[in-house]
Amino acid sequence: MSQPKRLLIIDDDPDFVAGIKSILVKAKYEVDVAYNPKDGFQALKDKAYDLLLLDVMMGRGAEGIMVARKLGKDPNLRNMPVLIITGIREQMAFLFPGQAVHPHFVSVDELVEKPVEPKLLLDRVQALLIKSAEARKTNSK
Amino acid sequence: MLAKSKILIIDDEEVVLDSCTQVLAGADCVVATAGNGVQGLKLMEETTPDLVFLDLKMPGLSGFEVLGEIRGRHPDMVVIVITGYATVSSAVEAMKKGAFDFLPKPFTPEELRLIFRRGLEHHSLVQQTVALRREKEMLRENFAAIVSHELKAPLGAIQQNLYALTEDLADKLSDSQRDLFGRLKIRLDDLLKLIHSWLRIISVDVNQLKGTFSPLSVADVLSKAIETTQPHATRKAIEIQAIVGEPLPRVNGDEGSLTEVLVNIIGNAVKYSFPHSKIRVRVEAQGAQVLLSVADTGVGIAKDDLPFLFQDFVRGQAQPGGATGCGLGLAISRRIVEVHDGSITVESEPGKGSTFVICLPAVPPATESNPIPERKA
Repeated sequence: MSQPKRLLIIDDDPDFVAGIKSILVKAKYEVDVAYNPKDGFQALKDKAYDLLLLDVMMGRGAEGIMVARKLGKDPNLRNMPVLIITGIREQMAFLFPGQAVHPHFVSVDELVEKPVEPKLLLDRVQALLIKSAEARKTNSK
Repeated sequence: MLAKSKILIIDDEEVVLDSCTQVLAGADCVVATAGNGVQGLKLMEETTPDLVFLDLKMPGLSGFEVLGEIRGRHPDMVVIVITGYATVSSAVEAMKKGAFDFLPKPFTPEELRLIFRRGLEHHSLVQQTVALRREKEMLRENFAAIVSHELKAPLGAIQQNLYALTEDLADKLSDSQRDLFGRLKIRLDDLLKLIHSWLRIISVDVNQLKGTFSPLSVADVLSKAIETTQPHATRKAIEIQAIVGEPLPRVNGDEGSLTEVLVNIIGNAVKYSFPHSKIRVRVEAQGAQVLLSVADTGVGIAKDDLPFLFQDFVRGQAQPGGATGCGLGLAISRRIVEVHDGSITVESEPGKGSTFVICLPAVPPATESNPIPERKA
């Protein structure tokens, strides 16, 4: 059997995280969690991840957006797929007027709304992993 | 201490500049002067005055051009034009172009002071209005964002854990236990939807829709709406019969939100209709309007409820088959239709059914042939 894929969740709501982590672990993913952007970046530095699940509203505001922007500028992390998980899809447009918050924070990303049904979550995670593997293949050619 | 008022006077006659400065400059006022339009515009950018006196007749850049330029850059700037006695008509013209008032030459110091005070008063009112409007906008948007997060986050977390539990216990749950989980999920979903609709009501400024208006076919909107509501109708064995009258002029509008209106109205008709009944939808031109009616033979609406039907959070009493909703659909629909300069009305008789009629102004054929649709500012 192939190596389990490693996922990192950055979200400041431990209860919500418990809910998605359990679903992902059951689907045989290896899941780490960071409850704030700082720990998240540390984790990304320490270990290589196949995918990041990122919350938008953290801390004092939309710190998830900052995380995504920082990732986009990092040559090592830019190509890591990001699944944005947010409860504020409707509000994003006017929280950041005139800025394209989605689609495409980073090269490969996708957005789902909280709460997310298990099947949808797993589908999106898998689709993103496949998409990023394909992108990597094309790049190395 | 109050900040000094800043006045800018643009006039090619030095004697006017001097005398005005003498009259106005003092403890509560700073006067800047410019001898021509170009210099005046430059000074205006540097000093951002509270009030501008502008001579209409100047060599070079004319007063009208300067006025147009000022209004273009600073729509809230209070401009008073100075005109010769014989040119009242040009003063009127200037007022039409956005000047606040005019001062005919020659004028007495008292006349100047009076119009100056009125101008400043107007300026402070304009400033207050602008500030209030901005504050209102910020409040609404921030409120929506905060409430959205604070209410939806805990519910989201509950629902997510419920999903996880249901998955985990999938093979251990008895049917009745699974049913209980199902009930929990549905109630949570409803609560999330309610918060969502409520936020839409308070946070969405439907007037912003006007920016994206374009001529569209109501028939297209209708078929989309029927497509969305068809599954619910099929479940209750209700037939949706659509009649489109030809020729059908287009209407100017936002397709997404008009579809939302029709989905709301037809969805309601399905919700409040008895199984195996028929809903008649008809769209046709009538004079300069496009008329759209949705008639059902359902439970109808009590007379007492009719006047409140299009208000926020009102839902009729009779609900067959446990119809649920938060009573916001019609309120949102009314707002959307009104932004389209249209109207929405209802006729209903309890036990017989309801007919909703939406009137939208048709795009006149003349503008229709114009390749670029003219948009209202």
